[in-house]
Amino acid sequence: MDPNAAGNPELIQLLNEEKQRAMVNEAVAKLTSACWDKCITGTPGSKFSSGESSCLSNCALRYMDMSMLIMKRFQSMQ
Amino acid sequence: MDSYSSHSPPGGSISPEAMMDHVKAQLAQAYAEEFIETLRGKCFEKCITKPGSSLGGSESSCISRCVDRYIEATGIISRSLFSQQR
Repeated sequence: MDPNAAGNPELIQLLNEEKQRAMVNEAVAKLTSACWDKCITGTPGSKFSSGESSCLSNCALRYMDMSMLIMKRFQSMQ
Repeated sequence: MDSYSSHSPPGGSISPEAMMDHVKAQLAQAYAEEFIETLRGKCFEKCITKPGSSLGGSESSCISRCVDRYIEATGIISRSLFSQQR
């Protein structure tokens, strides 16, 4: 990167915010892909059934729970 | 970063705002490309189950629905992660 830009605190702040946003976007994209595969088993219809939409939403939340459990399990091994 | 280097003034000084606008535009482009690539993969899997000699009408309509539903699914996931009632 341009050395002038790299030393600019304002720019670094803006880049860090953008980085946060990128990480959130990536997490949503990854979860959508995984939960789509789990929850949408038939051919896509003209609207989601209530089962499909609640599966998607549960899938995302359970993934977060699981990720927390894995973290705890891993920490307990240290 | 081609357009950035070709637009940057001699001496390399550029305002943080201009730099960020550029970064954001590049990122938006990259996100869109990645999303479309994901759609290709998911909808091909769902809708082109037995490739024929041409794309059939039911395959085309499946693809439109698949794209719409995938976008909707992204919204559902995003809302369930960031809604207040967690």
